[in-house]
Amino acid sequence: MIRVVLTRFAWTLVILLGVSFVAFMLMRALPGDFAIAAAGSQSVSPEVLDAIRRDLGLDRPLLEQYFLWLGHALTGDLGRSFVTKQPVLSELPARFVVTFQLTLIAAIIAMTMGIATGLASARMRGRTDWFVRIYNGLILAVPNFVVATLIVLLAGLYFPQLSIFNYTPFLSDPIANLGSLLLPAFSLALAVSVTISENTRAAVLEISSQDFVMVARAKGLLPRTVLRNYLVRNALTPIITVTGLQVASLLGGSILVETIFAIPGMGQYLFDSINSRDYPVIQAIVVLAASVVILVNMLVDIAYARVDARVKA
Amino acid sequence: MSDPTLILRVRNLTARIATRKEEIHAVRGISFDIAAGEAVGFVGESGCGKSVTARAIMRLAPEGTSIALGGSVDFMGQDLLQLDEKAMRDLRGRRIAMVFQDPMTSLNPVMTIGSQIDDIVRRHTELRGRAIRQRTVELLNLVGIPNPERRADNHPHQFSGGMRQRVLIAIAISCDPDLLIADEPTTALDVTVQAQILRLLMRLREERGMSLMLITHDFGVVAGMVERVNVMYRGEIVESGSVERVFAEPAHEYTRALLHAVPRLDTAGRVL
Ligand SMILES: Nc1ncnc2c1ncn2[C@@H]1O[C@H](COP(=O)(O)OP(=O)(O)OP(=O)(O)O)[C@@H](O)[C@H]1O
Ligand SMILES: [Mg+2]
Repeated sequence: MIRVVLTRFAWTLVILLGVSFVAFMLMRALPGDFAIAAAGSQSVSPEVLDAIRRDLGLDRPLLEQYFLWLGHALTGDLGRSFVTKQPVLSELPARFVVTFQLTLIAAIIAMTMGIATGLASARMRGRTDWFVRIYNGLILAVPNFVVATLIVLLAGLYFPQLSIFNYTPFLSDPIANLGSLLLPAFSLALAVSVTISENTRAAVLEISSQDFVMVARAKGLLPRTVLRNYLVRNALTPIITVTGLQVASLLGGSILVETIFAIPGMGQYLFDSINSRDYPVIQAIVVLAASVVILVNMLVDIAYARVDARVKA
Repeated sequence: MSDPTLILRVRNLTARIATRKEEIHAVRGISFDIAAGEAVGFVGESGCGKSVTARAIMRLAPEGTSIALGGSVDFMGQDLLQLDEKAMRDLRGRRIAMVFQDPMTSLNPVMTIGSQIDDIVRRHTELRGRAIRQRTVELLNLVGIPNPERRADNHPHQFSGGMRQRVLIAIAISCDPDLLIADEPTTALDVTVQAQILRLLMRLREERGMSLMLITHDFGVVAGMVERVNVMYRGEIVESGSVERVFAEPAHEYTRALLHAVPRLDTAGRVL
């Protein structure tokens, strides 16, 4: 058991190192850099740009820059934002909490909607099945940002009292906070819920034809008992898997949704930082997001073992 | 019902399975009786309609198929084909129980053995709370599972095929059914385990005075187990009578072919 945990931990470190390295190199591969972005449309002399770069250490060889960053990161110092000159760690936690809330609510909405429609589709078949599948197809075909934009537009047109762009922090008013996150979370959840729905449907259909379901019916068990203990409990493993995999796409989607709905979360922060080439911030967010995805995958593995006794450690 | 000793009286039973492509006439008007406490064998080659007949009596259609049933299935004075689904559910597992062919796939992999017996006991008896588990342990003991208290908390994957079939038999007899339908209960098992399971079924039938409908494609299995045998061929019963009679002087050509195709149990040992 301890061996398993240690191996996993070692792997996690290797993955995070890889992610941070790739992110570092990709950022520098983008055209332009912080100095140019900061100068904006003003015409600044090359000497000034070089001075800014020297000041931030951007003139050194790439590998040296990376290992400098890594050395600091390992001691818990993620550097300062080029833009605000504040430590990255002074801003990031608050941003992270907002995104955490948003993705958590989105995950709950996606699972509820996905499992419910998937179940209905598989159990009732016929017209319900048709309807769910056409709906799923449509949502999958339309990009996330179109849906989010539509929701913003429609809500703005028909429900102007829903102040969608007024993000309220959790601590100042939890109810208003929830209210301001509901629509963004919904648009974030839509695509994911469809994936969960399709997978739930397939899993339940597959399990319906298993012998043990016939045995359960031959026992005279009530349909709801068969559904809960025989169908859903067996379908849970694939459902947990897709949901776990979708956490990464929820985080990715939050960049878009936070930008569209003006929510001061990590996604919006990342978007702004990429625009201004604020390397330390980007680097920190990427590593944090990767850690979250890895952590969720571990939780999924633990959940497996709880749902299905055949899976151990 | 005219004859009070009859428990099941099937008349002109038909079953048509509608698939997307075609309609299969799987059971073509069969009639038979099973008396109280009697064991009746159903023998026939693969695909002749034995399982469909068994499921027709239980009114169980495989998921995603629709089966149109005709004729009558008179079970202790009630025509099962006329019952509504709710009445049928109350009857399944309690008055008529079934043991299936493949014990490896017939148990829910994510539930413990014990809870898969608990649920039928809870469904059909007045027992509640700890009394349910007591009954479950009793049943496991009855079908010959050692350490039943501990084994009840195991999952199916911790049981061998023979042990799983014992569990499925425990489930089937849990509510003291009047009729037990065993659909090829030993086909998927090793020869030595087959004999054990058949002996267990015989013992339970005698102890409880249940009627047994034993389905098999193997005349050898039927020989020592039942009084009467029905031979099925392409959805029809082509011959029926006492085991001795059918063995000694098979009337139908198909029965003769079947008897030749299957090594007799007493000679099978010598061949090995
Ligand atoms: N779910 C189903 N869908 C379509 N056809 C089916 C289905 N179940 C059974 N059949 C058809 O009905 C006929 C009778 O099948 P049945 O399962 O009763 O045979 P069997 O005598 O039990 O055979 P075996 O010894 O292989 O179990 C076969 O032709 C089979 O193809
Ligand atoms: Mg069969």
